Amino acid sequence: MVESMIQVEGLEKSFWDESRGEIRAVDGIDFDCRPGEVFGLLGANGAGKTTTLRMLATILKPTGGRASLNGHDVFSEPEAVRRSLGFFSASTALYPRLTGRETLEFFARINQYPSERVPERVGALIERFGIAEYANARVEKLSSGMKQKISIARTIAHDPPVLIFDEPTVGLDVLAALEMQRVVGELRDEGKTIILSTHIMSEAEKLCDRIGIIDRGRMLALGTLDEHRRATGQHYLEDIFVHFVMANLSDDEGATADIGSPSTSETIR
Amino acid sequence: MSGEPPSRGNRSVLLTLFRYEIKRLIRDTRTVLIAIVAPLVLIPGMIFVMRAVERSEERRLDDTVYEYAVTGDEAEWGRAVLAAALEREANDPDTTTGAVRFEERADADADSLLGAGAIHVVVEALSPETYERIRAEEAAEADTETESELSLPTLRLRHRGQSDFSRNAAERLGNRMAEVRSELRDSVYRAGGFPVAIQQVAAVTTENTASAQREGGALLGLALTPFLLFLMLSGGSIMAVDTISGEKERGTLETLLTTAAARSDIVKAKMMGIIAVGISVAAINILNLLLYLVLGVVELPERFVIALSPMDPLLILILFLPLTVLVASALLLLSGYAKSYKEYQLYLFPLLFVFLVPSLVAMLPGMDLRSAIVLFPIAGIGVAVREIMIGEYDWTFLMLAFASTGGAAWWGARLTERTLSMERLISASDLDEADLTGGPALFPRHVLRWFGVMWVTFLVVSLWFGEALGVRGQIVVNILIIMFGGSLLMIRLYGLDAKTVFAFRTVHPAVWLAVLIGIPSGYIVGIGLSGLVNTYLFPVPQNVLEAFGESLLGDDMPLWQLVIMLTVIPGIFEELTFRGALLHGLRKTFGPVAVCLVAGAIFGLFHVSLFRILPTAYLGVLFAAVVLMTGSIFPAMLWHFGNNFIALVPLQLGWVTGETPVPWWAYAAGLAGLVVTFSIVWTVRTPYPDLKEKRPKEFL
Amino acid sequence: MQKENLRRPATVNWQDIWILYRRELRSAFRERTIVANSILMPIFLYPVMLWVMFTAMMFVSGLADRATSRIMLVDAPSGHAVLMDTLENRSNLDILAAVGSDSAVALIQAGELDALLTFLPPDTEGDRFAENFRIVIHYDRAVERSRRASDRIEGIVDDYRDAWVDSEAAQLGIAATDRGQFRILQDNVSSGEDMGALLLGIMIPSFLVLMVALGCLVPAIDSTAGERERSTWETLMTVSASRLSIVTAKYLYVATLGITAGVLNVTAMFVSLGAVMGPLLAGVGAEFQFSLPFLALPVMIVAAVALALFFAAAMMILAAFARSFKDGQAMAQPVVLLALLPMVLGQQTDQTLTPTIAAIPVANAAMMIRDAINGVFLWPLIAETLAVLLVMVALCLLLARAVLQFEDLLLGSYDGSFWRFAKERLINRNGSEPTARAEQGVV
Repeated sequence: MVESMIQVEGLEKSFWDESRGEIRAVDGIDFDCRPGEVFGLLGANGAGKTTTLRMLATILKPTGGRASLNGHDVFSEPEAVRRSLGFFSASTALYPRLTGRETLEFFARINQYPSERVPERVGALIERFGIAEYANARVEKLSSGMKQKISIARTIAHDPPVLIFDEPTVGLDVLAALEMQRVVGELRDEGKTIILSTHIMSEAEKLCDRIGIIDRGRMLALGTLDEHRRATGQHYLEDIFVHFVMANLSDDEGATADIGSPSTSETIR
Repeated sequence: MSGEPPSRGNRSVLLTLFRYEIKRLIRDTRTVLIAIVAPLVLIPGMIFVMRAVERSEERRLDDTVYEYAVTGDEAEWGRAVLAAALEREANDPDTTTGAVRFEERADADADSLLGAGAIHVVVEALSPETYERIRAEEAAEADTETESELSLPTLRLRHRGQSDFSRNAAERLGNRMAEVRSELRDSVYRAGGFPVAIQQVAAVTTENTASAQREGGALLGLALTPFLLFLMLSGGSIMAVDTISGEKERGTLETLLTTAAARSDIVKAKMMGIIAVGISVAAINILNLLLYLVLGVVELPERFVIALSPMDPLLILILFLPLTVLVASALLLLSGYAKSYKEYQLYLFPLLFVFLVPSLVAMLPGMDLRSAIVLFPIAGIGVAVREIMIGEYDWTFLMLAFASTGGAAWWGARLTERTLSMERLISASDLDEADLTGGPALFPRHVLRWFGVMWVTFLVVSLWFGEALGVRGQIVVNILIIMFGGSLLMIRLYGLDAKTVFAFRTVHPAVWLAVLIGIPSGYIVGIGLSGLVNTYLFPVPQNVLEAFGESLLGDDMPLWQLVIMLTVIPGIFEELTFRGALLHGLRKTFGPVAVCLVAGAIFGLFHVSLFRILPTAYLGVLFAAVVLMTGSIFPAMLWHFGNNFIALVPLQLGWVTGETPVPWWAYAAGLAGLVVTFSIVWTVRTPYPDLKEKRPKEFL
Repeated sequence: MQKENLRRPATVNWQDIWILYRRELRSAFRERTIVANSILMPIFLYPVMLWVMFTAMMFVSGLADRATSRIMLVDAPSGHAVLMDTLENRSNLDILAAVGSDSAVALIQAGELDALLTFLPPDTEGDRFAENFRIVIHYDRAVERSRRASDRIEGIVDDYRDAWVDSEAAQLGIAATDRGQFRILQDNVSSGEDMGALLLGIMIPSFLVLMVALGCLVPAIDSTAGERERSTWETLMTVSASRLSIVTAKYLYVATLGITAGVLNVTAMFVSLGAVMGPLLAGVGAEFQFSLPFLALPVMIVAAVALALFFAAAMMILAAFARSFKDGQAMAQPVVLLALLPMVLGQQTDQTLTPTIAAIPVANAAMMIRDAINGVFLWPLIAETLAVLLVMVALCLLLARAVLQFEDLLLGSYDGSFWRFAKERLINRNGSEPTARAEQGVV
């Protein structure tokens, strides 16, 4: 029995707004990730992807449900969770006044990578990403492409078994995006468990082993691309996505039209 | 659902975080240059220039040849006195450049020369009769009475107060003339048979028991704490401004949060960073100051001797330890709340006040320094440092000071850690419906600002136009126009419903009974409170109390008018403003108890004089409580009216005076009455609708 | 490409400038820090501060009056009942039981006694006066309470001495007028307005200069470095208005806020001063009336405008290189030091504008304002002052124009460093393409 690397059960996140009361950003999500797979979270802006991922990264505390990562519960062992995790997001930035090398060293140390092996590890990362030329220049002086490389490097600086990429290719040009995708593939081949959230369909199609579709705080569908295709009768992920989202919409609005086959409703929730 | 387990903390992670915070700061060369290095040169430079300018001014005053003219019907005698005075000046100079020189200008129209500034002083020598005449004339013009005075010849030194030179000349001449006069008096007395010189009667000498070191220490001790505190606040801010608000702006905070470092470690490391930078900056500045002292660029006042035993700096350092932690917590908290670098700076200014004002407490006259003041954080340290500098080592005292500020520091650090762990702070998003739709939902957000503006308007009008308006005018302008008019304006601008805002609702009949009991009870207790405040907290000079009473009632208005002005109008319109508009605006922002306190405090502040603030605030709290419990403004109106009525009418009718003592049992009865009142109100309560809901625990 | 930029005529479209200017103002008034600094602070701060000061002074004087002095009497002579009565009945004196003088001094040093009053027999000369005595007051000069006790005792003794000597002299037949000799009075002929003008002339000029500078600071940084930080700079570069129009609109916006801040601050201060200080000082016996000569107002406003134009230009040029608000502030803040010049140079009494002073920028404006407040209008020198200020403004604008021609500045190169720019561009003067820096990663 393959143990799940990541297990999420009934995860909920509500925010309290002074005038509107409780707002549910994440409304009961279940999924799990097996070791060495790339799990894709697909959803529109505001669907709850980022919130879910932040809960997994223990930046936010769930208001319901459970989640565990690499055998550690996000509630009771948050530091252990973060030690096993590398989190990459478009909104996580680098410290401008540190050099590339120092950045890698810092994040390795602070994530409790054994300190005697840090220099070696940093050297290896620099070589792997080919940033030796400017490793000793301050980050603020680098171009965005170089910054991106350093960002990825610092994400895996402490060699975590789990990686989360939250919309990693947003704002990147074609070549840079391809490079990012290549790295993700490489990391998967090394046996890392990866959650990738995106709203770029082609990326999800290419990289993900399984895809979960999120809309309005709920997981609408979960499975491999083929499973989705069979469930909806659509071929392209884009159409599959629209299918599920529309169904969710009309479900909420009380329409009785039955969209899709009975197996569809099984995968829902 | 359990909370995060107590963080065990990890020493090496903490040190790594700390090292990198410092490293990043040092690399910000621009900030280091401008915030740390530049002031080291600029501030002594400015002090030096200012001193140089001051000294050249002094020299100018001493070097000038002052011109004077002699007028009056006893001019010859005047010249004689003047000659004697100038001789004394020439023989006994007390300035560094020698005697101050005077020259006479003989001119017919001395007064206009004086007015034009062409001469410095006009010495008017008047015979007794002429002086009497002039005085009577001036009194008639100014419509004042004159007291009878001894009939003496008079020397009037007429000068232009707006000119430093003129003032200086007149003062100098006056002093020398006084010396001449003393001599003359002495000789007259001697000639008349007085056995000794006047100064030898009941001769007084003063002996200073304080050594020079003690004096110097006392002076330094006063200034040391505020000075160091300021350095730490500004120095610590160099780190603090960036450490959370800056990181938030740049997005690096989130990166940090995804690492394995415990939240508490992150907070501790940042606090350590602030402390380190604050202390370094303070130390650098002190050394710098010492350097400039040695170089002579900055001078100490004369007779300033400092003698510190080796233990003193150590003691002061220990005392400052909890203070630095408190400062660091406050700065870090500020950084957490500010959403950007700019905002941090905006809020820093009031924070400086909050810290510096208590540290100045040692400068208050008449404060018994060995007193309960030591239990106040910050203030206690200020006082303790001064004691050390004087050479008093009262260990209990010092330990109390350390403990009180230490306690505050510990509490501050815990608060900071807890607050900064709150998700809301770190991932703040403040968009919510009120921002989008505006209108009534925006009112609670803005109500305090409005009342702030009203308060300032009120203050300026009272101070600027108070006298001209008289009691009637003031009531009309302040209460009707500013307070009530402001409330109406708010209702209009935010599209609110007047009935809801003003809480026009009916109440249970029992409430009226309760209020009737409450009126005299509240009043008596209020008197007691005023007395307590006056004795222990804010002693007010007697003349101010009297002046206030007169200003309010001095207008000789008929009683019925006074009743309307001082009881009916406030009773209605102040209630509508404070327990209506203000209460309505605050109801969503604070819990019920806090609303009463805040509304009461604001009401108190509108009664500007110091000694009226607390008693008025107390009433404000009572009224707010009644409104919250009954949901209606009418009981409060009745109570307010009744309270003012009792305060006014018996006094006016002469049944009591300001001196009538209140027996102790009356206070007890008053308290009992209040308890009864609120019990009744509570029992039949119809709470104010739509109050703030308590945030459910999981969202904390 | 570069040469084309240099040769393109600078077009100024006042329509565009108006639109851009309004937009800048609108954004500014929605920005909490700018509103707080330029508008709320003047309105709130002065009345509140003066009220606080007033209340604090009342509190302090109440404390001072209230505090009783603990004194001790040693060897009080028997014959001076009046003196003893006065000492005992004075409400702010508390007479403690006497102990030996050495212990008493120790008590003073320990802070438990405020003053020791020792009566001694008169010296040989003073002995000629019947029932004469000497007094020694021991007190601790380091402690304010002790000083006050000593002063109080001295005051009582002085009064007693005067009365005693007077009655003795009267008994000896010395006439009262002989005892008084003559009267010396100080008579201030300056009117209340003159005195008020003195005080205003001390406070307002340096204050106005500083407030204009501070009012310009945040808008100047925000509209240049701040825009870059928010990434709206580039957006702005793509609109159809000319670069010059954009920059002019920003400049006028910054100057507007500077003038507003200066004028509001001074008005608020003037209003509060008059309302609070006037009565306060009257209580002390000085007569102060706060009013301004009619012509002073336009002079002050013109000065504010000239200063604002100068400060705005200087600050914006420096801040334009920075890439973040923080850096921009570090670069522009030194200009505020210039505004401190009048305060540092201090008050020269009886000084008015002279040709030399009129030639020093900023200080000349302060002196001009001070003169105006005192009702002194030296028109030629005022003209010189304004001319000097406008020359400074013109220099700044020329510098700005020279600097803005370079695209690299607009795109944000030179790592936000004015010095590197100056070095590479203006000093080296090679006019060639800028060295290819890491252009792609421009923030």
